[in-house]
Amino acid sequence: MSTCSVSKGCFVFKPSPKKRRVSQKTAVHFSEGKNDLEDSELRFYTCQSLWNQIKLETEQIQEDLNKQLLDNLVSFLGRSHSEFQGKTTDWTCRMKSREIPTAALVLGVNVTDHELTFRNLSEALQNITPYIALLEAKDCPGIKNLMQKLMGQLMNCSTDVVSLEDDDYVQVSQNRIRCSMKSVVDWYESVTKKTDSETLSKKRTSSAKHQQSPPVVVIFKDMESFTTKVLQDFIVISSQHIRELPLVLIFGIATSPMIIHSLLPHSVSSLLCIELFQSFSCKEHLSTIIDKLLLTSRFPFKLGEKVLQVLINIFLYHDFSVWNFIRGFQLCIVEHFYSEPLSVLCCQLTDAKKRVNSLSHEQCENVRRLPSFRRYVERQEAEKQIALLTADSFLKETTQKLLEDLHVYHENYVSVLKCLHVFTCSLPKYPLGKQIRELHCACLENRVWETEDYETSLQLARMLNKSDLETMLQQCVEILVSSSGNELDKAVEKLKEFLTQFQKLEAEAFQEQDVSVSSQKELQKKTDLYHLQKTLLELKDSRRSKKLTKFEMLRFEVVDYIDSLVRRYLVPADHKTLHEIVYFNTASVLRGHLNAAPRIALHTALNNPYSYLKNQALKCDSGSISSKAPDICIVYKLHLECGRLINLVDWLEAFSTVVTAVDEPNADAASSDQVDDIIHARFIRAVSELELLGFIKPSKQKTDHVARLTWGGC
Amino acid sequence: MAWHGSARLGALRFTERLRGRECRAEEEAPLVFPFPSSGSAAGYGDLACEGASCCCWPTAIKPSAMSKRKAKESGGANGECISQAQKILRERFCHHCAAGRLFGIEHQYRHLLDLLKRTTVHGESNSALIIGPRGSGKTALLNCVLKELKEMKQVRGNLLEVRLNGLLQTNDKVALKEITRQLNLENVVGDKVFGSFAENLAFLLEALRKGDRTSSCPVLFILDEFDLFVHHKNQTLLYNLFDISQSAQTPVTVIGLTCRQDILELLEKRVKSRFSHRQIYLMNSFDFKQYIKIFKEQLALPADFPDKSFAQKWNTNVQHLSEDKTVQDVLQNLFHHSKDLRTLHLFLMLALSNVTVHHPLITASDLHEASKQYRTDSRANIVHGLSVLEICLIIAMKHLNDVYEGEPFNFQMVYNEFQKFIQRKAHCMYNFEKPVVMKAFEHLLQLELVKPIERPNIRAQREYLLMKLLLDSTQIMDALQVYPNCPVDVKQWAASSLSWL
Amino acid sequence: MHVQVTDYRNIKMPNLEHPAYPAATLLQLESLVPCRESQVSLLLSIFGERHQFSFPSIFIYGHTSSGKTYVMQTLLSTLQLPHVFVNCVECFTSRLLLEEILMQLQSCSPETEQTSQVHCDTFNDFVRLFKQAVVTQELQDQTLYIVLDRAEQLKEMEANILPAFLRLQELTDRNVTVILLSEIVWELFRPNTGCFEPFTLYFPDYSIGHLQKILSQNHPPEYSADFYSAYINILLGVFYMVCRDLKELQHLAALNFSKYCEPVARGEANERDSRKLWKNIEPHLKKAMQTVYLREISSSQWEHLQHDDEEPGQLKGLSAHTHVELPYYSKFLLIAAYLASYNPVRTDKRFFLKHHGKIRKTNFMKKHEKTSNHLLGPKPFPLDRLLAILYSIVDNRVAPTANIFSQITSLVTLQLLSTVGHNDQLDGPRYKCTVSLDFIRAVARTVNFDIIKYLYDFL
Repeated sequence: MSTCSVSKGCFVFKPSPKKRRVSQKTAVHFSEGKNDLEDSELRFYTCQSLWNQIKLETEQIQEDLNKQLLDNLVSFLGRSHSEFQGKTTDWTCRMKSREIPTAALVLGVNVTDHELTFRNLSEALQNITPYIALLEAKDCPGIKNLMQKLMGQLMNCSTDVVSLEDDDYVQVSQNRIRCSMKSVVDWYESVTKKTDSETLSKKRTSSAKHQQSPPVVVIFKDMESFTTKVLQDFIVISSQHIRELPLVLIFGIATSPMIIHSLLPHSVSSLLCIELFQSFSCKEHLSTIIDKLLLTSRFPFKLGEKVLQVLINIFLYHDFSVWNFIRGFQLCIVEHFYSEPLSVLCCQLTDAKKRVNSLSHEQCENVRRLPSFRRYVERQEAEKQIALLTADSFLKETTQKLLEDLHVYHENYVSVLKCLHVFTCSLPKYPLGKQIRELHCACLENRVWETEDYETSLQLARMLNKSDLETMLQQCVEILVSSSGNELDKAVEKLKEFLTQFQKLEAEAFQEQDVSVSSQKELQKKTDLYHLQKTLLELKDSRRSKKLTKFEMLRFEVVDYIDSLVRRYLVPADHKTLHEIVYFNTASVLRGHLNAAPRIALHTALNNPYSYLKNQALKCDSGSISSKAPDICIVYKLHLECGRLINLVDWLEAFSTVVTAVDEPNADAASSDQVDDIIHARFIRAVSELELLGFIKPSKQKTDHVARLTWGGC
Repeated sequence: MAWHGSARLGALRFTERLRGRECRAEEEAPLVFPFPSSGSAAGYGDLACEGASCCCWPTAIKPSAMSKRKAKESGGANGECISQAQKILRERFCHHCAAGRLFGIEHQYRHLLDLLKRTTVHGESNSALIIGPRGSGKTALLNCVLKELKEMKQVRGNLLEVRLNGLLQTNDKVALKEITRQLNLENVVGDKVFGSFAENLAFLLEALRKGDRTSSCPVLFILDEFDLFVHHKNQTLLYNLFDISQSAQTPVTVIGLTCRQDILELLEKRVKSRFSHRQIYLMNSFDFKQYIKIFKEQLALPADFPDKSFAQKWNTNVQHLSEDKTVQDVLQNLFHHSKDLRTLHLFLMLALSNVTVHHPLITASDLHEASKQYRTDSRANIVHGLSVLEICLIIAMKHLNDVYEGEPFNFQMVYNEFQKFIQRKAHCMYNFEKPVVMKAFEHLLQLELVKPIERPNIRAQREYLLMKLLLDSTQIMDALQVYPNCPVDVKQWAASSLSWL
Repeated sequence: MHVQVTDYRNIKMPNLEHPAYPAATLLQLESLVPCRESQVSLLLSIFGERHQFSFPSIFIYGHTSSGKTYVMQTLLSTLQLPHVFVNCVECFTSRLLLEEILMQLQSCSPETEQTSQVHCDTFNDFVRLFKQAVVTQELQDQTLYIVLDRAEQLKEMEANILPAFLRLQELTDRNVTVILLSEIVWELFRPNTGCFEPFTLYFPDYSIGHLQKILSQNHPPEYSADFYSAYINILLGVFYMVCRDLKELQHLAALNFSKYCEPVARGEANERDSRKLWKNIEPHLKKAMQTVYLREISSSQWEHLQHDDEEPGQLKGLSAHTHVELPYYSKFLLIAAYLASYNPVRTDKRFFLKHHGKIRKTNFMKKHEKTSNHLLGPKPFPLDRLLAILYSIVDNRVAPTANIFSQITSLVTLQLLSTVGHNDQLDGPRYKCTVSLDFIRAVARTVNFDIIKYLYDFL
């Protein structure tokens, strides 16, 4: 599956990363080089626990998102099955040609995420039927293999109902069972008979749930990759037996249901009774994930703006894979706890305080080294500075205080951010972005209130009509109330007060109402930003000219208050002291890990060996070729100058000249050919290495020429 | 009940007689002929006239006009005679294992016969190929020869016969097992053969070598569909057979039957060199006169038919047929179409199947019908069954072929053509959705009236797959003529010389 | 004897007649095969009596649902002829096929009731086992019929299978007739070295009258026959142009009937006034042509629509959901691929160079290119060209990271691109873009890129 994911480059067949990480080895690896005074052990385990929490959380989220879909599918299965049973007396049922009920399951292009979905699916289906087979295209090049795989899985799950996750079944010896649809039918009859008798005698919990003859579900995980022939044959064959065998197909589709028609000829698709099921879009999925993981004070660990940008960009630009996003997030966590010694404090506040007390001297030094802390110190008066820089104990308690501040900051930040989002997300043209994540990034980046987007949005907010305003305020109140931060209570009070004032306005409101409404009208007329601003301005002037109505004053107050909230609580994180402890902000590392540039890496390695070998002798301007460079580098550089076909002889010439360039003076003719042999050998080895790398290949077109495969001189 | 019984009994006696048993006339008479001879004669009388009258009836109309009385009188006797006649003739026409009669190949017959004689009597090893087109009677020839051979007293019983067929023994391993099985050597238990290929081969060769030409029993290998054996892995079997046919002590003769003239080129050199280049060619090289004769002999009932008078009537009828003009035309056609006996058999069988109690003799019209049934353009049939939309597509393809001189086309082009037509003649049939047209196109594909030129790889878009039309324009036009209630302007469109490009 | 004959007299003579079988059975048979009497009678006369030999092999061809399978089955079962009936599609290997035949042979014999696993790999074994099977039971005196349905599958099997079946009678030296059923004409079966020619028989397609008759035969119990047949008439009026498949028509008839008799059920119309009914059903049927007939909407959904009779417009067919959500760069990759596969190489300069000057289309128009590329379909292109175009159509520069390359491969797995030739070659993999114009336009719109401006065909 992973090889056909959008991001296959990043995840090459890791058997099970979790297992590898928890192994003691890495724990040691965490602390390698450093002495354990920076309590790497502790860091490692904090990292562990944190990640496990997050993992659970994400899986939970995924399940909730899929729930709807799964329920639909389950009901569909039940329905189709019921149509199989009975009412054969009904006229239409007799006349209608039996079709195979089929669910087209559209899952979106992020193939990596499908795995979990299918797992949930097969678990959900367990309640309806024990007979489920998951097929992948790569196992089924031909109808024969497909039948084998199918029967293997069915026969197995007849014996044990649980654990359909792992596809590596022990094949029931195929040579004994003739793998044809007929034998499947026989098997089904025998099994159903058995279960019936079973239900009579002693009810197995699983089979008790199922009806008399549960449907047989065949899931095609990756519809696109199946070959037409195989699907065609399978469908035709099984449609022969549909009366004896209540079969249900599920097509996992990544692109669009059209693929069914482009894969199957109509004569075949007319044997199916297809219903469509949409899983919902991965973008929404992502935003929920971000909402639950980042915009919450549950998890102490935070992402810096740049890092978040990198992750989101990879998601939006390259793969729509939420799974990869989470992986990236995990990488950030590991990286953070690994690189940042103080990350030991990145945990729930209470533990953090405890840990502060037990900080070693080095760690204290680390704290002092933190730039944000420096800034903090400089802001203090002299003796306090000294105390901070000398006395560990004092440092520790300040740290505790600061950490607390940070914590509080987070709580407020989240809720206020949400409030702000409530306002901005409904504005025309979304100056601050539609999604909350965009707003989040904006706020992290720098003081949001200094951007002109913010200005425009405030202006727009000042144009809001009463009802909207009230609803928004209402929402804000709810948000703030729900938030744990206690110092927002005042804010809540204030907002409530605004609301009551609006109520009071009701009485004499109507004459201003129409004004504002009229202005609203104009707004709605002119939607595009430019006109909008123009109207805004003139409206403002007009307001200036004539005295403001009560409502408008109130509205201004509200907006200003919101503004004040923003200025107060939405300070960018890196202005906060000790933010390094909880924020992971080194985007460069992440980028290096996540979007690798193989071509460039190779090129630099071979073109400029110094960049990797760090050997002074190799240091030279990129134009010339140093003779000390490894042979392969020399050969590579030379080959860059050639065209599609490279003459080996010339190449050798050039090579030898380069190599012998240094000891030219003391090389005499007699020894030269002696040297030449060796050089020749070296040359051959280098060339074969290039061939091994797939840069050149022997060509039939011309004698003693090789074809160059590298991208045209990039 | 009794009627059936008598029939079966008669049949039984008849089979006995085939085995050359003596059977006295008086004991069968009461059984087979329950009627007073006068009545039966009367029956034959009106039968004759009926048979004569039959000639002018088309077979479609069953002669149910025949009065019940006749049915009553002639029913029993006739029913039985006819079923017997049917039995004999059907066996002759359809059951090809039966050694039929031979025509115009006496020379080959002699040749093969003394070849085998020399093997069986004087114990000479040998090898030969019988070459001739399909249905030219290779197997028949061989069977006759063997039949005669077996009747000779010095041969009877001491001839081992191994029959192989290229269609069955698709590789040497199987072939070898089959040989051992047929010779049932020691390593055969029941019908299972044990031992590896090498063992079996060694064993077989050993068994064949150790004999000597005077005492040990000669072995005759018959390889039907000889050309298929050529494709076996480096022709091991052929090599060994030919080799022992030259070297071995045990008299071994290998006879190959094939329809390929170029068979010798297919043999490897080492195999070829071991083959005694005896080839017996069977060209059915008889002219129409002989053909008529064959026709008569094939259709005639044998002299030892239980009911003499019926046989005689039958044969005279056949005689008449052979002189009939229409019949001769029919036969002429057949003759030009293909000379081999199998087609003739097929054709006669078809005619014969019409013979019933109420229609006891083959008539000219039967033969005519049969020939019609025999010569129908199947593709035209299929086209006839297409829907109007599919016809339109075919016409579009025809036009494309005209324009691009038979270059391959794809669905997109066809659809374009069709669109043009629709736009011009919108009224005749409303515009169909593209997928609907696609479905129709796929149906054509499924019927293999259109064929993709390259193996359709999995991933190509179907509308761009390059196709060829397997019908030529004349076929299409003919089909259109007979096409039921075809819209007028579709016809016009088809007729219009070049489409409007 | 005389009794026998009198029996014959007072039985009504069926059109089908045959000495071997009692008239009653024949009558029953005749009632079972409407509009196929002539074929059946021909087959009967060819089969002859039970013990008589018949053609070694018969090849029956005819259109889908022209009753080949059905007629053969009913014929053989009603007359209780010993037969084996195999569908070749199910037996996708020769081994399965042969074993299937043998097993059925075992089962259709009374005394050997145990169907033991037979093993039969080659046709050689098959012939041997077949002989035994036939000997073990009393089949020698009767003709055994082996019917191979969907015989076109035999062409895909080993070369010897088909010819061997055709002359099975000769090979086994038993009284057996092999009957092949197929939609494809015999000419396409014949191997190039020729083989034993079977007797070919054509099952003609049902005429519209036949269809009318057959479809009207089993009408729903609650409505009168001629009411239903009127309905069938309308149905054929719409669909006969397109589809003559009896099965499909029956299916469609069943699906749409409830809609047809709605007015009657509501009491707005009685069964007589056919105009009203026609007005009611006709647009509905037209709709059905684009939805149910193409399986855009599953038949069950279609029924639901009718029951709570909303417009079929509500429920969109499969092809309505063409929209595919793609990552930003994937979209551009796809667009680039489309351009690369529908534009001639030499026009790239004109499209993607900044200052290409004003080159008219006529300047680089070639003679043979009057047919547009959208008729001929996509052309393969090398990877480098794709990337080059990508770089020029994306305004901000794109680093050639692994992500980009992996997107290409994943586009291939999503069937939006397809690799040309075998994909294990190191140098320059070549691709084709396999999406339709509408699709790519939709994609281009989302990244507001005017693709039409960049397409050679639309200059």
